[in-house]
Amino acid sequence: MLHRKIIATLTMAFAASVGVQHAHALTVYTAGPGNLSKKLAAGFEKKTGIKVDVFQATTGKVMARIEAEQANPRADVLISASWDTAQDLEKRGWLAPFQSANASRVPTPFKTTHYVAQGLSALGIVWNARSGTPEPHDWRDLTKPVYRNLVTMPDPALSGASADLLLGLQARLGSEAWKLFDDLKQNGMVVSGPNAQALNPVLQGAKAAVFGAVDYVAYAAAAQGEAVKVIFPTSGTVIAPRPMMILNTSKQQNEARQFIDYVLSEEGQQMVAEAWLIPAREDIAIKRASFRDLRLLPQGDAQSSSTSRADVLARFAKLNGQHSR
Amino acid sequence: MAALAVVVALPVAFVLLQAVFPHLAQGSFAAPFSAVWPTLSHDSTLPLVTNTLRLGVSVALGTALVGGALGAVRGLFYVPGARLWDLCFLLPFLVPPYLAALGWMLLLQTGGYAQQLTGLDAGQFLFSLPGLVFVMTLNIFPVVYFAVSRALATTGSRLADVARVHGASAWRAFARVTLPLALPAFAASLLLAFTMAIEEFGAPAALGARAGFSVLVTSIEGRFADWPIDLPGASILSVVLAVLALLAFVLQHRLAAGKDFETQTGKPIASPPRELGRWKGLVLLGFAFVALVATVAPLFSVLATAFSGTLSGGLSLANLTTAHFAALLGQGAEGLEALVTSLSLALGTSLVTGVLGFLCAWCVVKSKMRGRVLIDGLSLLPHALPGIVVGVGLILAWNLPFWPVTPYNTWGILLLSYSCLLLPYPVRYTSAALRQTAASLEAAARVHGAPAGVALRRITLPLVMPALGASLMIVFAIASRELVTSLLLAPSGVQTVSIFIWRQFEQGSIGQGMAMGVVSMAVSGTLLMLASRLGNKRERAA
Repeated sequence: MLHRKIIATLTMAFAASVGVQHAHALTVYTAGPGNLSKKLAAGFEKKTGIKVDVFQATTGKVMARIEAEQANPRADVLISASWDTAQDLEKRGWLAPFQSANASRVPTPFKTTHYVAQGLSALGIVWNARSGTPEPHDWRDLTKPVYRNLVTMPDPALSGASADLLLGLQARLGSEAWKLFDDLKQNGMVVSGPNAQALNPVLQGAKAAVFGAVDYVAYAAAAQGEAVKVIFPTSGTVIAPRPMMILNTSKQQNEARQFIDYVLSEEGQQMVAEAWLIPAREDIAIKRASFRDLRLLPQGDAQSSSTSRADVLARFAKLNGQHSR
Repeated sequence: MAALAVVVALPVAFVLLQAVFPHLAQGSFAAPFSAVWPTLSHDSTLPLVTNTLRLGVSVALGTALVGGALGAVRGLFYVPGARLWDLCFLLPFLVPPYLAALGWMLLLQTGGYAQQLTGLDAGQFLFSLPGLVFVMTLNIFPVVYFAVSRALATTGSRLADVARVHGASAWRAFARVTLPLALPAFAASLLLAFTMAIEEFGAPAALGARAGFSVLVTSIEGRFADWPIDLPGASILSVVLAVLALLAFVLQHRLAAGKDFETQTGKPIASPPRELGRWKGLVLLGFAFVALVATVAPLFSVLATAFSGTLSGGLSLANLTTAHFAALLGQGAEGLEALVTSLSLALGTSLVTGVLGFLCAWCVVKSKMRGRVLIDGLSLLPHALPGIVVGVGLILAWNLPFWPVTPYNTWGILLLSYSCLLLPYPVRYTSAALRQTAASLEAAARVHGAPAGVALRRITLPLVMPALGASLMIVFAIASRELVTSLLLAPSGVQTVSIFIWRQFEQGSIGQGMAMGVVSMAVSGTLLMLASRLGNKRERAA
């Protein structure tokens, strides 16, 4: 009865795998650098013995998964690349309040009663020094004829940080922001994929610069020897704090809190710094520009930004002729 | 039967249910059909459908040109190095399509390898519909090539020779005898190419997005996997896509009825293929050109990137490194884990579809049980189901709170989706082989007192083993690189090779993604070769 045996074995293996589901594992959904999430998970596991299952993707995909699993939530901790998403989830009442003791060294703008920054990234221009174009200094420079058809931008619908830039520029510049986007479009800028996908053509020289790239991806590329330079525009830029939060549906509140404590510990923050992000804590030494060195556009008003997020994204997509949705 | 229901019927049913009841995910049957018209009449829907059709038709035409021409020559004439060419054209079929698309991008975009080597800049061409069609045609044309060459080789030349003997001119014999005989197989393979083109995710996602060209598959993935999600919209578009694919499939089935062009078990023909004569050089040049473009070029690009320290460093000796391969093994061995996951899943899928496919085929061909038409239909249905539809259906079906146990969020869901998608391969191959085995063999065993199970295992199974084995190799190859349902369904903490590569391309180092591609193709290729050696030995011993 070979077949029956095979079927029985398979059924049992299947049932076993379904049953196990890591009874005590912590599930972390995270956007952003995959290596960082892996390192944090491994470090946490070593310290506490609690296993961590990581789901890592773009902010858009992570949020979609949370939304799709609404009826049957799986995630304990969520780390997003867009502050806006945390505000949204808190408003929906999906978050459990928590203030980590280790958050005392995190500046006030980057923590609330329900969420706290893991680290920060800043948005800038990433420019290929071998592209034969002059070094750009401000956002508007990229609308000049020398950059014709040579600029890419990450898709704000996919990249949380890029969406924050869009909202920041609109809050600060109003209709001027849309003129800027329009001019960029006229100058042949292409909008493509999340961060690395916008960066790759610039690395190979197909394009000269990324408009609104998250800095850590480019810093990491430069550290590996790529000929790119991160430039923070003179008129100011936007920082994207990456909020960490605990879902109130989590059955492992205690472990989830321990995880956040760990990420905010000196050891955890060191890993954040190694991934070329700005650590959330001020007392960690870094080898890159800190947010205090950056000239910032004022943050958009929280209330209006989250209500208009969908509109801004839709308007942007329309401007750029994307009709994927 | 129950297994078939779980593997195939359940996801399909839930896609339909979700399309009808927009609030299904909240467990409510409120407002049926309320999402159907708004979605279908939305501004973006018509372009999506026409884009999908344009892509499908263009790719089918492209494969007709490349695959049809080469296949005809290969089938009718003696082509020097024929087996080598076959192997060359089998390769692009085994390279994961998304990897080939990424390879083409690095090769052809401005500043890409082609420009570095020859000054050719095809960036404008690549990120456009023609560029996308070009890349996808080169991935898919082997389907047509093999169908046409086999059909012509087995049916064409002998009968055409008869016509020649009776006084027909060479051209007339071709037009009146050979062509009509090969046409059904040709048309059926074109429809298959069409289906494959409208189902493909990787190439349209990588190239189409930059060209501002979106198709149903990418839009469904977006609605399902990007925030804010649109479950009803995704399901309705899934149904539209499935209907397109089903139509093509039904047409193909009609055309191929009674002419199973995929079976390669036909008897060898006695009449030798004709000589090419003075066309030989030109034909060889054509074969070499296509092999170079379809196989060597994208593989070169993948290898070059995997061994390059930096992208901006370009092709130079100083930039040569094995660091990306080393990184795969270092740091938590994430890459290694992904490789093991993919290979185990591919093996598991081969086992599941092998057992299930054999039983299905046996029920349909040999048994007299009721409901065998239903089994036949269900087991072949996934051939017409785009992967993304199956993925969507599995999430909808298994992410509901009322199941006592659910495979969702375990690797089990990936096994389910791969098994569903790939089940038709063993079913088709095995039933073709079963049709050729005489019923008397099994009957003889029964007469001599063997119970049904033993007769099945000792008589029938060994007889169909070569066909089953061949189909399981296809299953293994495709399962080890499947992308779109993996992206949708992979649980937290689990990565497959395809996800690893895709995520590296989205968020990390493209070199490391390419290195992963090289390693996984090498490993699964070696495993397949070993398996086919073993299979051959057993056959010879038997």
